[in-house]
Amino acid sequence: MKTVKTMGINSNQPVGRGFNFPYDIAIRDDLGKSRTIYLLNRPNSATRMGTRIQYFTFEEDWIGEFGNPLEDDEAKFTKPVTLAFDSNGQLHVTDEATDEIKIFDSEGKFQRSIKLDSDSQEDGERFGPAGIAIDSDDFIYVSSRYLNLIQKLTPEGRIVLQWGCNGNGPGEFNMPWGMDIDSQRCLYVADWRNDRVQKFDADGSFLRSFGESGKKSGQFHRPSSVAVDSNLNVAVADWGNERVQIFNNEGLVLNVLEGDATLSQWSHEWLDVNLDEREARNRANLKTLDLPRHLSNAYHEASQTEHKFWGPVSVKFDSDDQLYVTEHSRHRIQVFEPVELT
Amino acid sequence: MVSINTELIIHLMNRAGFGITPDELDSYSEISYEKLVESLLDPTESSHIPDDILFRDHVDLHASRSGVPAYWAYRMISTKSPLEEKMSLFWHGIFATGNSKLNNLRTILNQIEMFRRSGTGKFDDLLLDLSQDPAMLIWLDNQDNVNESINENYGREILELFSMGVGNYSEDDIKECARAFTGWSVGNSEYMSLMAQKDSIWPYGRIVWHYDFKSEIHDGDNKEFLGQEGPFNGNDVVRIICNQEATARFIARHLYNFFVADEVPVPQWKDTPPRDPAAINTLVEAYFEYDHDIKSVLRVLLTSDFFKESQYQKIKSPVELVIGTLRLSGEYNDDSKVDSSIFGVIAESDYMGQALCNPPSVEGWHTGEEWISSGALVDRVNFASQHIGNPDNDGVKHIVDRIRTDLKDDAHTVGELIESCGNSVGITRISEDTAEGVLDLFSQEEVQAKGQDAKIQIEDETILRVLEFMVSSREYQLC
Repeated sequence: MKTVKTMGINSNQPVGRGFNFPYDIAIRDDLGKSRTIYLLNRPNSATRMGTRIQYFTFEEDWIGEFGNPLEDDEAKFTKPVTLAFDSNGQLHVTDEATDEIKIFDSEGKFQRSIKLDSDSQEDGERFGPAGIAIDSDDFIYVSSRYLNLIQKLTPEGRIVLQWGCNGNGPGEFNMPWGMDIDSQRCLYVADWRNDRVQKFDADGSFLRSFGESGKKSGQFHRPSSVAVDSNLNVAVADWGNERVQIFNNEGLVLNVLEGDATLSQWSHEWLDVNLDEREARNRANLKTLDLPRHLSNAYHEASQTEHKFWGPVSVKFDSDDQLYVTEHSRHRIQVFEPVELT
Repeated sequence: MVSINTELIIHLMNRAGFGITPDELDSYSEISYEKLVESLLDPTESSHIPDDILFRDHVDLHASRSGVPAYWAYRMISTKSPLEEKMSLFWHGIFATGNSKLNNLRTILNQIEMFRRSGTGKFDDLLLDLSQDPAMLIWLDNQDNVNESINENYGREILELFSMGVGNYSEDDIKECARAFTGWSVGNSEYMSLMAQKDSIWPYGRIVWHYDFKSEIHDGDNKEFLGQEGPFNGNDVVRIICNQEATARFIARHLYNFFVADEVPVPQWKDTPPRDPAAINTLVEAYFEYDHDIKSVLRVLLTSDFFKESQYQKIKSPVELVIGTLRLSGEYNDDSKVDSSIFGVIAESDYMGQALCNPPSVEGWHTGEEWISSGALVDRVNFASQHIGNPDNDGVKHIVDRIRTDLKDDAHTVGELIESCGNSVGITRISEDTAEGVLDLFSQEEVQAKGQDAKIQIEDETILRVLEFMVSSREYQLC
């Protein structure tokens, strides 16, 4: 799959333009103008400074940000994980530290939150909402990292369905993370520590799973995110293998992406005013590596080059089926052409 | 009184690990001392909190942009093979490389992983790995060491601080050594060193460095080095260095200082004889007998009489004190205890004088009495008493339960309580001063009259107060 563009630049500032350990995105297509991307930053485990959502256009025009811990109590995040829009353009954000879904309007104004719990929860046990997906009727699906289950909620937050427990059998989970819903209302779950993706119907009935532990094509190491395009092709962020795999609807591997980043608009602007680095960079070769055997693995190759995925934590399709891969450790988004164009 | 074997096991785990919990001590009670040494040298289990869990919770640890001390702390606290981490710490203190200059913590973490991989193998291999380690090469400016204009930094330090010690080579040897290492550099050295110098994270975060040999700037001509002649490169120089007796003595003295008893700081070694010359001779002989194999030298050291008789002759380093205390308190030791507070907790070691990944200079840390200043001592005592005095910590709760169960009837004396609490935190020889201090915690007339022979009701709060006092004692600062 060819790259369309790369977006973003690293920033270590707690406010303003630039990404700092981006963790997930949500895309708004229905504004009648430019496509808008909402990006969650989750930097600095020690202080949580800079945790916030930024939003900007596909052309990299920066619009604003919200949810900063420096702001008011209701809106701020602690350990936010994933994002999803409902049909009304309301952005839902899971926060695994506070066991809630926070809901904002498209301009970042806090609306309300949904507190999550389960009857299977024991005293002192946390829910840990991780992945979120919202269907066309605005039913909310959320995965529980600690309870190893999926809940289906009404838009108001009432539980209508719940399934799953800890394990590796069908319908069981080990620290599930990202989710998506296809056009046939089937739910896909990145079953993170079981190294597989599970597919369910809208009633939570298990349909099938694909993937197993490993590095080969079709295998996973800690898949963190899953996304389905309009043709039912499935993209999986194979996080621990530093790659993204694309499957067809039968579970066959169509493509394995390792990343091919270019310079973003914001990066060009930065290098234009830091000429010493631009010139040294132009003389460097950031793609070729001859690593010793002990460093010849996906992680080290990604860390010692620049174009490859490093920490591809999230995959999302837009309404044109372009694929967005968010990399937390390279602080950027790589956008790829739709599957069928390849 | 604890048995001799128990006392030795506690001593061994203090030095070759980060202390010992009462449960670990129980599990080792049926194992001979020699067998325990072997299990430390050749661990069958090297488990620790898995990286994927850590990275999911602390995503910034994935790129090691910051927080590497916290990452390492998780490893040291949760590892089942503590000697591996202890040896990494040992080499980190000798081959000191700091982020204050490098601004690239992941590259430093790669160096620490290299210490784990090569730290107990043949010293020649370790020194060669070090000479090709990107963090070390940039730390000592070897990217600027070119055939037309040598930079002596690495050539000097490999001799002075990493192998032979001052007085065992000439200034000419330094120059020839530097010539041999010309061209030993990192990939894209101009851009990488510029980013380090400017602390640049743009555009896409830090790029981790990799070793690159640049043949076009290597001096392949003849060299005279330590009495030998040839067109030496870095590999030849390392081989020659590792065959020197001075190297064996230098490494032996470092091992003695780290594992056996505090020595004077390295700059004084030239003029100050070793504390135990016979012990150093034993280690030097082992170095040559076992073909420079560090693990074999360690085996000789850990099973020697001079090691077994060296209890309480070392002051715990800040890292040893912090990690040992956290292992006892049961914090941060499994998947369910991954918590952001560890970043602040490990920073306590910095305040006590040992910031991981940021040694004060290429000399590393001065050890022994130099760990103790009035401010550092207060920090050390406060840290230990806060963590061991907190009954909410699982490890503390468990220790209190054990002691209460062991002393469940009321026929026990204050002396027995003192001994039990001391042993639980790894103190086997409790001084009179410490015991007297514990007695002052009790207001009962009987205790004041009969001292340690007084019988008391053993309650959880009492146990906790005595434990807290024990880790505030002089004995707990030593190992």
